[in-house]
Amino acid sequence: MSLVKYTIRRILALIPILFGVLFMTFIMTRYIPGNPFMFAIGEHPTTSQIKAMNEMVERYGLNEPILVQLWMYVQKLFSGNWGVSLIIRRGTPVWSMILDVFPRTVEIALLSVGIATGIGIKAGISSAVNRNTRKDTFIRFFALMGVAIPVFWLGMILQFTFGYRLGLLPSTNYFDANLDPVPKITHLRLIDTLITGNLIAFWDTVLHLIMPVFCLSFIYLAGITRQTRSSMLEVLELDYVRTARAKGCKEKDVINKHAFRNALIPVVTVVGLGFAGLLGGAVLTETTFNLNAMGMLTIQAINSIEYDIINATIFIGTIILVSANLIIDLVYGIVDPRIRY
Amino acid sequence: MIKMSEVDTKIKEKYYEPENFKLQFKEVLTDYSKFLFKPGKEDEELKKRDFLYNRLKSKRKFATKLDNTLTKIGLVAVFIVICWAVFAPWIARYNYFFVQGIDYSVSWYDPPTAAHPFGVSKFGRDVLSRLIWGARSSLSIGLIAIVMASIFGVIVGILSAYQGGIIDSIIMRIVDIIMAFPGLIMIIIIVSILGNEMYYIMLIYGVLGIPGYARLIRGSVLQEKTKTYVEASKVSGSSDWRIMFRHILPNCIAPVIVAVTFNVGGIILSLAGLSFLGFGDYALIEWGTDINIARSRLTTAPWASIWPGVGIFITVLGFMLIGDGLRDALDPRLQGKKKK
Repeated sequence: MSLVKYTIRRILALIPILFGVLFMTFIMTRYIPGNPFMFAIGEHPTTSQIKAMNEMVERYGLNEPILVQLWMYVQKLFSGNWGVSLIIRRGTPVWSMILDVFPRTVEIALLSVGIATGIGIKAGISSAVNRNTRKDTFIRFFALMGVAIPVFWLGMILQFTFGYRLGLLPSTNYFDANLDPVPKITHLRLIDTLITGNLIAFWDTVLHLIMPVFCLSFIYLAGITRQTRSSMLEVLELDYVRTARAKGCKEKDVINKHAFRNALIPVVTVVGLGFAGLLGGAVLTETTFNLNAMGMLTIQAINSIEYDIINATIFIGTIILVSANLIIDLVYGIVDPRIRY
Repeated sequence: MIKMSEVDTKIKEKYYEPENFKLQFKEVLTDYSKFLFKPGKEDEELKKRDFLYNRLKSKRKFATKLDNTLTKIGLVAVFIVICWAVFAPWIARYNYFFVQGIDYSVSWYDPPTAAHPFGVSKFGRDVLSRLIWGARSSLSIGLIAIVMASIFGVIVGILSAYQGGIIDSIIMRIVDIIMAFPGLIMIIIIVSILGNEMYYIMLIYGVLGIPGYARLIRGSVLQEKTKTYVEASKVSGSSDWRIMFRHILPNCIAPVIVAVTFNVGGIILSLAGLSFLGFGDYALIEWGTDINIARSRLTTAPWASIWPGVGIFITVLGFMLIGDGLRDALDPRLQGKKKK
């Protein structure tokens, strides 16, 4: 019961944050100089074109006071009408554009966070157990490299070596556009191709995803390894670990069952926030590999001042981030039964 | 007391008399040569000396705690990058002031030669010179932004935590909202509002860094606030400002120092990302911008886009390594447990 109460209270506390972000994004985007129709008329517009642009500005209400526009937008947002793309794909509803793009982000995020968590926790534990040995130094250095390496640079090196020099992997795009279109059942391409039995398209998507997923998981691996290491180090110094050793537990059990369970909470935070961040769009990786997922859509929208798309993508990203925070707090209770709400 | 003249004569006897010199030579050959070929642990005498040295050496000294291979690598890396930034006009062959490192005598995207060890980029820009000059813009933006963010963040955080009440909740709601934004995208939007000049970019990073520090220090101030020494200083009549900045602040500053070193790296990395996406200041020589410009020629001229990345990598890695060492050194839970 208290869990339900806690969840409801937290969700109510999220609402002002969400509105704050929405208002801030809206007002900030409206202050970007220019308007979306500017791009349609080109660099040397004629007077009639300028007149047409002003008419469009009038029609979309961009001349109204900013608070009136905000009120109109919020009304639109909650009645399910998220607007229409004006430049990028003219006439397409924003909602369907996001539905096109978001599953890709989910796919990439799931794969890379899964891989990073698996390897990162193992590496972190072994680094903490072998503290201050050569192995520890090696793992720490590798983890720091992951934090310090610019992801686009790593991506470019991979593209150059594997995509261009060795010719093993395709270096850009999400799939080969020459293949037959895959029917969208779950919208996740990897699963869709498996369901329809289209193994060629499946393998093609896997090949396209190897390098971006490697890049992203290398970055997140670093954070997870470092967090696991530091929280394991804290736990390993505690008395109950010594007790477990003294009563004759196997070292493996001491570490995996006694110590690790208690070191898990900060790791859960890092994994959850990393996943939420990825779902909001990995701008740099997507741009490097031309993946055309959430982050790239946002950048395109900013470049062509598509107010509705910018607002929508940032709003979705924020919802994901704050709800991930909430879910992490709820997972604490599962990981550590001592925590009560 | 030994007089200096006595020491002089002793030294003279030991080193300048011909027969003693022979002895000295023998000593060097037999006694010290073994240290060259034997690892220190195997020799009994050295082991003893090492043990004595480690016992006498103060474990609490800050420099001793930083004595770590990775931290040393970090210090060296940051030192090199700072040297690039400070002495760029003397190190770099092609200068910034006139032509942004352009050599007009070569064609665009020329491969590495003796005159251009790392090759040539677009417009005939020398990649090595721009790599060296790039340190200047990255470091100055990163350091100024971090100084702004940390100072204001600490002040806001302490005020908010110490005063409590409605000020605290208002400040924390604002912090929550800013932290809920996707970071890079927010920076890009603000850059496209204000324009991509260097000072604006500094300002944006400085202002957007404030919430992180405010939240970081708020937690520890809330803990420290309840301690006895705060009450004691209140009783002895110190003002709120004195309690906040002379009593509480020194006890909460350690995580901030660690965060500052990490965040310098983080800001430089994020800045590189920003200019990689094309939102950087094109008037500056900057690594991210260089990569962005040369990216389209990755297959034919990889040197032009790979080498600037090395600059970013070395700088960020250096700061992160130092931050890691500092965290280990400043963490009170790990104190006295460091093994060699």
